[in-house]
Amino acid sequence: MKKKVVGCILTAMMITGMFTGCRNSGSQSGDGTNSGSGDQVVVDIFQNKNEISDALQAAIEQYESENPGVTIHLETVGGSDYASSLKAKMLGNDPVEIFTLGGPDDIASYQEYLEPLTGEEWVSHVTAGGCDNVTVDGQVYGMPIAVEGYGLIYNKKIFEAAGIDASTLTSYDAMDKAFADLQSQIDAGTLADQFPVLEAVEEYAAKESWIVGLHTNNVALSQEFGSAAKAFESQTVNYTYGDALKDLIDLETRYTSSRDNLSLLNSVDYATQVGGGLAIERVAVIQQGNWISPEISNVSEDLLQDLGILPIPLKGVVEDSIAVGVSNYWCVNSKSSEAEKTAAKAFLNWLYQSDEGKNIVINELSLIPAFDNYDGIEISDPLSAEVMRYMDAGKTIPWVFSGQPSGWDSNVAANVQAYLAGSMTWEQVIAQNKSDWEAMRQQ
Amino acid sequence: MRRKQTGFWLFILPALFAFVLVVLVPAVKGFYYSFTDWNGIGKNAVFVGISNYGKLLSDSRFWNSFLFTFVFAICSVICINAVGFGLAVLVTNKIKGANLARTVFFMPNLIGGILLGFTWQFIFVSIFEAIGKNTGMIWLQGWLSDQKTGFIGMLIVLTWQLAGYMMIIYIAQLESIPESYLEAAKIDGATAFQTFLKIKLPLVAPAFTIGLFLSISDSFKMFDQNLSLTAGGPANSTEMIALNIYNTAFKESKLGQAQAKAVVFLIVVVVISVTQLILSKRKEVEM
Repeated sequence: MKKKVVGCILTAMMITGMFTGCRNSGSQSGDGTNSGSGDQVVVDIFQNKNEISDALQAAIEQYESENPGVTIHLETVGGSDYASSLKAKMLGNDPVEIFTLGGPDDIASYQEYLEPLTGEEWVSHVTAGGCDNVTVDGQVYGMPIAVEGYGLIYNKKIFEAAGIDASTLTSYDAMDKAFADLQSQIDAGTLADQFPVLEAVEEYAAKESWIVGLHTNNVALSQEFGSAAKAFESQTVNYTYGDALKDLIDLETRYTSSRDNLSLLNSVDYATQVGGGLAIERVAVIQQGNWISPEISNVSEDLLQDLGILPIPLKGVVEDSIAVGVSNYWCVNSKSSEAEKTAAKAFLNWLYQSDEGKNIVINELSLIPAFDNYDGIEISDPLSAEVMRYMDAGKTIPWVFSGQPSGWDSNVAANVQAYLAGSMTWEQVIAQNKSDWEAMRQQ
Repeated sequence: MRRKQTGFWLFILPALFAFVLVVLVPAVKGFYYSFTDWNGIGKNAVFVGISNYGKLLSDSRFWNSFLFTFVFAICSVICINAVGFGLAVLVTNKIKGANLARTVFFMPNLIGGILLGFTWQFIFVSIFEAIGKNTGMIWLQGWLSDQKTGFIGMLIVLTWQLAGYMMIIYIAQLESIPESYLEAAKIDGATAFQTFLKIKLPLVAPAFTIGLFLSISDSFKMFDQNLSLTAGGPANSTEMIALNIYNTAFKESKLGQAQAKAVVFLIVVVVISVTQLILSKRKEVEM
């Protein structure tokens, strides 16, 4: 008898569980399926920049209070999970209205979901070349989210303490010499009083395929292709500047704490490089971009003010520039209803072109806009200001990695990891990268 | 009789419904997609015959991960079951705190694989490193930065997670051995070791069938621990098949190709599991 009672209770619990589950998921998708019906227009945004999601949510709430007829839902999935989540989103019953894509390869894959934005007012204000990656047959399909730049971010205080004038570091050899000098001072212990945890000049996150296979590799490919669109059209990759790329990787690994056994770098990830490296003054230089500002200021607001960006040198080719480009674009889903599409476009226009929105973009989202009509708004973030300095001086190289075959960066990173571990020679790395590119283009 | 039949179907319906919806239909659909060039995004998938399977033959990265998975599965099945059985013998002896020990050993099983992976990644990369540096033990440094330590790392994590679960299965079987058998052995003058070898072990054999089956399929299918611990690196040297399939499907946007891999993988796992079931069934002893 007792057993029966227990059995009944368990069964009841399980059934309740089943229905609870249904109800939860029902209400979630319910919000979306209502969109378009009635007076309320619902716009779903799906994006991949973790660092702006809070500020963007605040901006959305402000927009909603001014436009009572529009409800906007924001969902953020960061990192490499974004691409697979987006696929699921678009194939599901309730596709999103606004989403972000990376460049020519994405644009080609998602062609049937893309609403042309050519007629929008903001298009004429995009800075030169800002929309090249998302323009197909004269139609613009994406709105640049921000301009970003990466180079070798360094700690000004450490360089000053070591007596190195960073403004002279505009060539490969000068940087090599300065890093060697700094490393010898660290080893001699003369900086230990001021920077107790400082153990090496650099840290290189070889575990992250995007750092190796997209960013570092791009320095050489940008000179070979010139633009992402050219890279996208190319059936082959020549590695015209392959030797200079080797020099760059050597420069970035030669002064790390793993210099005696470079294979150790293969377990260094982004968190170790930024949060556990530059932010705690364990190292003085890392290859990163202005997007690390929020992460650094979480650890130390003061330190952020002392950071600057050194060029990322391609020996004998371009030695005094940083890599600047647009990493992601806002796209509008062409399969949404007219009302939803209009609302989505209106929101993007408000965010990037109204006076209110411009202020939010610069000060709250901490982005460098890719538009020419932002006069009079000062950029407060020190790293973004550094990127602006290089842009104003014309010392930039383009981003071409969004034209690479998708997934190729993982192969490049794997090959470079094998090079660092000593199981592949540099010639083998280059040969393998080339044949992987060709194989991926053929499929 | 008819009423019994209705009852049978009524009870099996919810489970059957779920099984068809989330296992059978996707599997059949996946089988179909393995003959297409679908990229996972658009709606148009062109039928390409068996060319996806043809490409597999020359895909060295896939076969490397196949071999790696195979070796890993053999090692982890041995480790998981040996440790699980060891723990079970330990906690069924009448020692103090046996109940607490059971709970503690089982606990890792309640934590998700992703979380476990990241926790252990911190232990391997940061804590091992710090201990290694301060004590001068070089073998503790640079964990997960080469294939060997990546392999051992994943082995430790999976064993740590699954041994507790296997322990529960073995406990159930060990406790169902009638006291009279053990007493009879004692009276006949058997030592503790002989009792263990000649009586306990054969009688626990049915549990080994289940334990081996579960650990074989879990080891082959391992994905989340692999992703969070090493992400297949360095240089794809610790990439297991499940992760390889995922990367092909979602990173390279070749869903058709990935499905072909998945079908081959499914067949291999089924063959191995069924062979194991048949072989260990033969070794079982009736009580």
